[in-house]
Amino acid sequence: MNATNVKLEVKSVSKSFVSPRLGKQVEALRDISFEVKPHEFVSIVGPSGCGKSTLLSIVAGLETPTKGQVIFDNKVVKEPGREIGMMFQDYALFPWHTVRGNVEFGPVACGLNKNEQAEISARLIELVGLRDFENSYPHELSGGMKQRCALARMLANDPKVWLMDEPLAAVDLQTRIILQEELLRLWGDYESLDQRRPVLFVTHGIEEAVFLSDRVLVLGHRPGQIKEQVKVNIPRPRSNQRNTKVMLEQVKYIWDLLRTEAEEALLEKAP
Amino acid sequence: MQKFWIRILFIVAILILWEVSVILDGRLEKFPHPVGVWEALFRIGNERTLWVAVTQSLTRVLIAFVIAFILGVVFGIVLGSFTILDRALSPIIDALRSIAPIAWIPMAVMWLGITGKAAIFIVAYAAVFPIILNTYHAVRMIDRSLIHAARTLGASKLLLVYDVMFKSALPNILVGARISMGFAWASIIAAELAMGIKIEFGSKQDFGLGQLMVNTLFIERDINALVLYMLTIGVVGFGIDYFMRVVRRLSSPWALL
Repeated sequence: MNATNVKLEVKSVSKSFVSPRLGKQVEALRDISFEVKPHEFVSIVGPSGCGKSTLLSIVAGLETPTKGQVIFDNKVVKEPGREIGMMFQDYALFPWHTVRGNVEFGPVACGLNKNEQAEISARLIELVGLRDFENSYPHELSGGMKQRCALARMLANDPKVWLMDEPLAAVDLQTRIILQEELLRLWGDYESLDQRRPVLFVTHGIEEAVFLSDRVLVLGHRPGQIKEQVKVNIPRPRSNQRNTKVMLEQVKYIWDLLRTEAEEALLEKAP
Repeated sequence: MQKFWIRILFIVAILILWEVSVILDGRLEKFPHPVGVWEALFRIGNERTLWVAVTQSLTRVLIAFVIAFILGVVFGIVLGSFTILDRALSPIIDALRSIAPIAWIPMAVMWLGITGKAAIFIVAYAAVFPIILNTYHAVRMIDRSLIHAARTLGASKLLLVYDVMFKSALPNILVGARISMGFAWASIIAAELAMGIKIEFGSKQDFGLGQLMVNTLFIERDINALVLYMLTIGVVGFGIDYFMRVVRRLSSPWALL
């Protein structure tokens, strides 16, 4: 994988929609601007309902912003495509395909021939440790294995940026810790800077965000807007940096920023 | 194992009771009895008539089912995808659905004559609604995130419709297909019964099981044969249902209910 020098810019993005329950206009995101530099791992944290996932969908080109635009690789993002890889909260694996079929979906969609498809899927399935399960269907896999499969599927298109929408939210704590470290390894935590793809990672886990990222964007809610951008000052590779003093301090700092918001979000009715 | 023998014993007891009471009653032309049905099986099973009738009925069901399946899937997808058409057409479909298929027999006969075509019309009418409804719900229930995932992986419209939407909907479409096959088999018998007497054009035999039963009732007056035909209807119906279950299991192994 040769990483390129592409960056992602989100410029004054706002999003409003008509809430089906309230029947009135709801402002989900207000004037959000930031960028993900080449090779950078950026996380977005925020209270539930702050529009994190909506923001990621807009970046992916799955939803259109009411105002503003997303620029990726010097082009305005108008629709989803193979250059922008995305992982979903609920895995979104195709239940009628095996692990291998899921991983090969992208290569098939992009018109690669059978040999190329097989070569890519074999390499990635090996990489995420699912070789013994390549002919299993998603319903036969554990949460952690589904997530690895989803990761391999995203990587099969060799996307220039990785978008991840709470990919580890549904697995248990131990699995999550293992997968965090695997994710970093695959991303290039042990490699030189130019091997890394830009990542935009949405999570509600502050520790997770700090552990993984170079920078954490803290989103406030109603409407979602950036409260602060926190640079993470922890050296890489990160595998033995978990729960160090520096990390815990940064986690506490972000938690203090979010505490009031999170408490408000807890008491507020959903839109 | 003991339970099994108790069941068998019970069934045998009922059959013997049935046989004995009909024999004692003596009106053998009016009441069927097990031994008579057994004899009818060997008498009629050796003729071609029954098999021709079963084949004919099944052929009609199959033609009608294919028509109903294509129309049902198309209507279901269209209604499930476009809210405006859904609002406009759903009341009409619900209204039509409330009219029992056999109530269409007079119309079908007027338009198509006392022919197999009229029976096919009735059966297709009966079979189309479960497929429309199940396809409609299947389309509405498609997981949005699967469509999103496919789009971020670079799927074309064609791949999206075939490999995501159709396959997502398939298990539920096949639930509809199974129900509609049941309706189809029930209404072919009803339609053929209502069309009446079997028709023969020279050497060409054109009649289904229902028409054979009308013939047996009014002309041959063979009460034991009627029971044999009823049993045949049951066995074929069971076979169709089993077949549809296998089709669903083989075509969508990921969605076993």
